[in-house]
Amino acid sequence: MTDMPQPERVVTYVNTGEVVNRPAPLLTAGPLAWIRRNLFSSVFDTALTFLFAITVIGAIYGLVNWSIQQANWFVVTLNLRQFMLGRYEVDPEWRVHLAAMLVVFGTGIALAAFSRVRWRTFAALAIVAAVLVAVPVVIEAALPLPPLYVTAGNMPIASGSVTQEAQSRLAFTARAGEEFRIAVAAQASGDEALAVQSGFMDKATNNLRNAAESRLLAQARLAELDRLLASDLLTANQRVALTGERDRLTIPDPVVERYAVNQAAVTVRVLRGTTLEVLAEATLSADSGPLSVTLPDEGWYVLEKTIAGDAPATAILRVDGMYPLLQRSFSRADAGGGSAGRVNQYIRMTDNFLTEAPLPKIDGQDVPFAVIIDNQYRGVRPFADYLRVHLAPFLKLITPALWQALILLALGVVAGRLADRFFSPADRPRRTSVRVATWLIIVLPIVAFFLAYGVGNVLPVTDTRNWGGLLLTMMLTVVGIIGSFPLGVLLALGRRSDLPVVRYLSILYIETVRGVPLVTVLFMAQLLVPFLNPALADIDAVFRAMVGITLFSAAYLAENVRGGLQAIPPGQVEAARALGLAGWQITLFITLPQALRAVIPALVGQCISLFKDTSLVTIVGLIDLTGISNAVVAQTEFIGLRREAYVFITVLYFVFSYAMSYVSRRLEMSGSGAVRRA
Amino acid sequence: MTGTSAARFHDEPIITCRKVNKWFGDFHVLKDISVDVFPQEVVVIIGPSGSGKSTFIRCINRLEEHQEGEIIVDGIELGHNVRDIAAIRREIGMVFQQFNLFPHLTVLENISLAQRWVRHRPHDEADQRAMQLLERVGIPEQAGKYPGQLSGGQQQRVAIARALAMDPKIMLFDEPTSALDPEMIKEVLDVMKTLALSGMTMLVVTHEMGFAREVADRVLFFDMGRIVEAGTPEHFFEDPQHERTKLFLSQIL
Ligand SMILES: Nc1ncnc2c1ncn2[C@@H]1O[C@H](COP(=O)(O)OP(=O)(O)O)[C@@H](O)[C@H]1O
Ligand SMILES: [Mg+2]
Repeated sequence: MTDMPQPERVVTYVNTGEVVNRPAPLLTAGPLAWIRRNLFSSVFDTALTFLFAITVIGAIYGLVNWSIQQANWFVVTLNLRQFMLGRYEVDPEWRVHLAAMLVVFGTGIALAAFSRVRWRTFAALAIVAAVLVAVPVVIEAALPLPPLYVTAGNMPIASGSVTQEAQSRLAFTARAGEEFRIAVAAQASGDEALAVQSGFMDKATNNLRNAAESRLLAQARLAELDRLLASDLLTANQRVALTGERDRLTIPDPVVERYAVNQAAVTVRVLRGTTLEVLAEATLSADSGPLSVTLPDEGWYVLEKTIAGDAPATAILRVDGMYPLLQRSFSRADAGGGSAGRVNQYIRMTDNFLTEAPLPKIDGQDVPFAVIIDNQYRGVRPFADYLRVHLAPFLKLITPALWQALILLALGVVAGRLADRFFSPADRPRRTSVRVATWLIIVLPIVAFFLAYGVGNVLPVTDTRNWGGLLLTMMLTVVGIIGSFPLGVLLALGRRSDLPVVRYLSILYIETVRGVPLVTVLFMAQLLVPFLNPALADIDAVFRAMVGITLFSAAYLAENVRGGLQAIPPGQVEAARALGLAGWQITLFITLPQALRAVIPALVGQCISLFKDTSLVTIVGLIDLTGISNAVVAQTEFIGLRREAYVFITVLYFVFSYAMSYVSRRLEMSGSGAVRRA
Repeated sequence: MTGTSAARFHDEPIITCRKVNKWFGDFHVLKDISVDVFPQEVVVIIGPSGSGKSTFIRCINRLEEHQEGEIIVDGIELGHNVRDIAAIRREIGMVFQQFNLFPHLTVLENISLAQRWVRHRPHDEADQRAMQLLERVGIPEQAGKYPGQLSGGQQQRVAIARALAMDPKIMLFDEPTSALDPEMIKEVLDVMKTLALSGMTMLVVTHEMGFAREVADRVLFFDMGRIVEAGTPEHFFEDPQHERTKLFLSQIL
């Protein structure tokens, strides 16, 4: 043929030049490409991205807004001990701390053994912790505490149906050298200013504020009605309704005039709480300067505030250096073990300053003090007050613990490393730390349990009825896991056993338990067991719950482990049998280790879900983290603060669950798991 | 060839199979298998897929149970006696197509585990023996690694070392090179040849005809659960008698 293809037309690019690897084009690699590929790859995808972003941003905005402007976080700071320990006795409290420290230290060793610890991470954590320490210091230096507004007066102040008299005396606590300042508040110049007043205020002041607010609202409504009635777009019916409303609407007199706010002079005196000696005295009016006193000692003081003259009048006073108090009363054991009687503690909510000195008495009567429930923060809280009143005290409370944890974690890692340097052979540089960590994982939870519970005469046994909060949640989880692990493994092996009796009993157990909700199991453990056998009635409710949880989670664990066993290729068992290994040796050395490694993620998942499921013990009357928040918000001082308590425990649950899954992911990545098979 | 000295057949056979029959459910997988294997003999088993080769050699160490006939290994008859089975498994090493190394143990631990628990050797001695064998199969430097970090050929050599560590009298190979990339087949076959030269009794299921020609003392041809042809490699490859053998050879050669 004549028209054969010309050899020149076959193009082959033979590249014998230098090997050059060019970076990928910008739009196929790097963050821009990631965004385009993952967020805006199609119209639907883009729509989803926006929908998601709007939802999330909206929710976060709402939550942050609420948390800054409204939320009353005192419920957390003032009850932190309850959240952590419940009513756990005070004397053995160090044992729980020690247990927690040991666990954190052990976690450090485990990280050294099983994962590639990056000091960068530690440095980052340390910087975060340092910032957390610095923040409250800066806040306290830069921002003043918001004042407390109290009312002096000789007339009842009504707001709606609530009428309130101004108190003439108020007791308050202070540290030595603190400055106390009182002046007539400038905000009371008119209703507009009064209505948007924000800060701590007593009930009388709050009534004034509310009255001003409702008057302004009524005025606004009146203006609105007038505007509507002036337009001619209304139907006849609407016009009748609106006219009726307008006729019924009465606008009260301006509050400032009605109560003669800040028009009369006020006599104020500051007395020492113990001797009632007068430390300072002044007659204040709207344009006089403040009365300032440096308080000499730590303890109680009394503020007296009365209207000078007999004409009915009120005055709003701005007080710096006096803050609402929380009263706690409980009975305390004396050194001999007997009861030393009831003790009253007064805790200043802004900085947790605590005094146990008795309340000052005048004419044989206890002087009233600014109770937190009656002197709450009203109005929209500015960001500065949020920082000064809520954030700074909270950070001050938790940063010592954070630092302890961080340092112990680092020490654990260092200890693991050092042990490896001195004791591990060169070809297996982590043998020592791995051995130690493996033992610790088994031993530490048991040690922690007995530290918290007590051992015979060495560590006095604590009453588990007092266990609560995070402590109880942790104990239920740890005991549940430790107890259900061997049981679950045995059940899993039993379900695969060649002996029909063993197999069917295992199946019966697993399927029965999995067919019943945990709540039912807990009720069974609490109620039915003692009923069936009176000898079991003496067992503590906490232990009964532990047994219930253990039995429950063993069934699920068994299924997880069985999954792992099934995933092992049959060749493994054949090879082991061909080598002459006996059945139990094959299980112990070949199948079980592989199965357990393969199901580590599932096991951690189970730990986490067990950690959260323990909240169900609330239903059988135990006060775990969930139970304690119910108990905390049932106290009169904290009524209505359920949201704050729940947000707090939500964060706690999340932090611990996340930490668990993070550690397990690091362990998995280290290759001690099934990944090595690859 | 390792030298088919006729003298060897005067020894007592180390494996004796008489009229072995086996069924999987209704499926008759082994039919009247009778064969003797003598000490130091290398027997290569060839046959089409599904003809029962694997099943047969797995019956020899009781990974499969035969239902009729008798198998006598080293003087012990395979029955239901657990002790006998354990004793026989101690004498027989086996190498699988899929290596079946234990992925969670290092190479060294793979080789020493059974020594310690079955042969009751002290830890040090087991490790020493393991290192010795790793040297013999040519990969002592891999002792600390995990099987997943090794190539297929290296894994199979570890598997051979693991079986040899038990000091077996007999080695069974079930298609040891079938799962390997071509460039790795040779390194495994070389180890097997050395082993044959050293006088190990071997039963090898394989499709490596070169190996069969070179090393085998006897070739058995399996078809549909029967041994349809048996003989020396020369005889088997040059002058096959049975139609099925001729067809098989014409297909693969
Ligand atoms: N465990 C088993 N259950 C049922 N049938 C099986 C089982 N193992 C093997 N077989 C069947 O037995 C026959 C022989 O298998 P096998 O010995 O593995 O053959 P070969 O190794 O010669 O390829 C095949 O048809 C296979 O499907
Ligand atoms: Mg086969």
